[in-house]
Amino acid sequence: MGKLILIVEDQEDNRRIIRDLLTSADYEVIEALTGEEGIQYAETYRPELILMDIQLPDLDGYEATRRIKRIPELNSIPIIAVTSYALSGDDAKAFEAGCDAYVSKPFSPRALLKKIQAFF
Amino acid sequence: MQNIFSLTTSPKVSSISHRFSYALISIIAILLIAFTAVVIFYDINRVESVMQKRLDNAILFAENSLALPLWNLDYTVVNDFVEALLLDESIVYLKISWKDQIITEREHPDFHLKNIDSEYSPSLIQDFDLIAKSSDIYFKKNIIGKILIVMSPEEEKKKAIFQIYGTIALLILMIAAIWLTSIFITKRYISIPLQKLQASASLIAHGDLDTFVDKSSSDEIGTLAHHLDDMRGAIKQLFAKLSESKEKLEEYSRTLEHKVEMRTKELARSVEELKALGEVSQAVSSTLDIEKVLTNIVHHAVKLSKTDSGTIYEFDEIDQIFISRINYGMSTDFIHSLSEYVIRVGDQTVVGQAALKRTPNQVPDLRKIPNYPHPSVQKAGYQSLLGLPLLREDRLIGGLIVRRKAPGIFPPSIVDMLQTFAAQSVVAIHNARLFREIEHRGRELQIANQHKSEFLANMSHELRTPLNAILGYSELIIDNIYGEVPDKIGEVLQRVGKNGRHLLSLINDVLDLSKIEAGRLTLSLNDYSMKDIIQTALASVEALAVEKNLALKVIVPGNLERGKGDQQRIAQVLLNLLGNAIKFTEQGWVKIEAGIHNKSFLISVTDTGPGISKEDQGQVFKEFQQADTSNTRKKGGSGLGLSISKKIVEMHGGNIGVDSKIGEGSRFWFRLPVRVEPQKVEKWVS
Repeated sequence: MGKLILIVEDQEDNRRIIRDLLTSADYEVIEALTGEEGIQYAETYRPELILMDIQLPDLDGYEATRRIKRIPELNSIPIIAVTSYALSGDDAKAFEAGCDAYVSKPFSPRALLKKIQAFF
Repeated sequence: MQNIFSLTTSPKVSSISHRFSYALISIIAILLIAFTAVVIFYDINRVESVMQKRLDNAILFAENSLALPLWNLDYTVVNDFVEALLLDESIVYLKISWKDQIITEREHPDFHLKNIDSEYSPSLIQDFDLIAKSSDIYFKKNIIGKILIVMSPEEEKKKAIFQIYGTIALLILMIAAIWLTSIFITKRYISIPLQKLQASASLIAHGDLDTFVDKSSSDEIGTLAHHLDDMRGAIKQLFAKLSESKEKLEEYSRTLEHKVEMRTKELARSVEELKALGEVSQAVSSTLDIEKVLTNIVHHAVKLSKTDSGTIYEFDEIDQIFISRINYGMSTDFIHSLSEYVIRVGDQTVVGQAALKRTPNQVPDLRKIPNYPHPSVQKAGYQSLLGLPLLREDRLIGGLIVRRKAPGIFPPSIVDMLQTFAAQSVVAIHNARLFREIEHRGRELQIANQHKSEFLANMSHELRTPLNAILGYSELIIDNIYGEVPDKIGEVLQRVGKNGRHLLSLINDVLDLSKIEAGRLTLSLNDYSMKDIIQTALASVEALAVEKNLALKVIVPGNLERGKGDQQRIAQVLLNLLGNAIKFTEQGWVKIEAGIHNKSFLISVTDTGPGISKEDQGQVFKEFQQADTSNTRKKGGSGLGLSISKKIVEMHGGNIGVDSKIGEGSRFWFRLPVRVEPQKVEKWVS
């Protein structure tokens, strides 16, 4: 069985692209559509990596990351932030919230895969 | 006038008559005393000689008269003769003798000289201060007798002494008389006239120039008096002239004072007017608060025209009525009662008439116009009114009125001044109208612009989301995620991806710019390495350069200092410059240089491209501009890249520019402070 990766992303196409990309690379994927759901799934399934979209309908990705990182059992799970194209400061904010890496949209699936593989 | 002379008290005067009579009397007394002494001395000497002569005469007389009787012995005759001799009281002793026989002997009872012999004893005689003489009496040459006579000068001496006393008494009397006379004369002819003159002179000295000067005497004092009177006359004349001059001077000074006062008042008024006008024009030009400006104007207009209240009306062109804008110096009741009457052009109000005639119009005395349309004006105590139309290029925009509680014509100076205020009001109202319009338009424009920016920002975001999906799926297909893809399809998908990325970069540029315009672009300041930024940028364009067979030259010092700024944004600028250089250069090279000068990074990107003309150099940093519009079509690109770069560099407090010549390539450069301070950035953004 491949490693379990949690995708927190509200947009279907993005989820699909990431899912297709990761499953083809033999990862196992679970998907959450909101920040709250992401935290809940992280606690329930204890993934080995989380891809966290920043623009989410309820909690934003920063806040969700902060909450996950506050839970001691989940603290060590690497979180990669997926920022939308931003004018500035998103990277800093992501690191500040506790993210371990970030990719900004539009991301190349190839580049994303490389970044994920770097954590294993 | 009295005090023109300085009055000195006259020194103590000793009378001239006294001094003169003292001198006179001294001289006379000395002369008289000397004379009297001579007379007395002479008298005393004379007594002795007279006595001697009388004695000699008596002896001689006796010698002649007694010879015969003695011869005849006729004693009776002798005795008669003796008796006759003895009548002279000076004879104190007489003896006639004949040998030793005394014929007769007579003696004064006071003297006892009987024993005196014929030869008298001189000592005795001396003792008694007597004189004696004896003589022999001859008859026919024979001595027949002897006579002795002794005389006493006492009586004569007494007489002489009496005479001397008399002389002395007379002398004293004379001196006294002369003294008194001289006193009288000097008093009468010198002292009194002099005193009178002195009194006159004193009065003159005290300022009484009409004093009578007695000129009656014909002597020197009279002359003096004449001169004094002349002097008095001259002084009087002088005084008259002096006081005339003084009066003239006073009059002149009064006139001058008055003139100066008038002039000062005029000047003060002018200054006040100028000051007021200055304030008003300043208010007109500096504040767009129409209420404030008009209040200022009407306040000064009322104050300077010395009236009691004023109103500025604005003309409502739609309703054709005057609406009061600003009231000054009026009670709320009065304002309220005035508002009940609508003023129209051509009605009988002072403003209505002024508006009709388009000139200032005044009512000097309201009492003479019993049917004035606003009875409340007179009720409020006003008696004279001055109204002026507010005209802008012959268009009526309002009216100005001042009201005064005293009746009277408003002089042209006041009317002129108020016309200036009216003109200022016109400018103020016009400015305010313009401003209102501009403000309104500006607000609309601002809102529209905001809408546009927000629309663009949202739109580009919305555009990007599906585009991201397209790009993502294309890549997955190309990477055979969904199964083996034939080469031909893979190639087409490569093209889809390329065009998609281009579209994405265009959308990103629009998003950037709209964010900048909407003021939503902020810098995230962090430490960065310029060298890293350059290397990253080079890495992303390397493929493009290789594709076009262009050489990439890099001149970056190894020890380049770390900077502080927005790393991503700086990278964006550099990427833009490098991308442009590669895009527009067909052959040759692209060179990037970096260095530090004056605490700023100086980064330049030089190419061997077509170059940019001087005219176009100023345009390339403007939005939606490229040097050659035909190029845009050929090379692609939004034309926003340099404009965004310029804004980013400027937000960092730097500047950007280009040096180029047609056919000789271009050199784009930017200067960026090594360390950007946050407050500077904020300042720029705000």
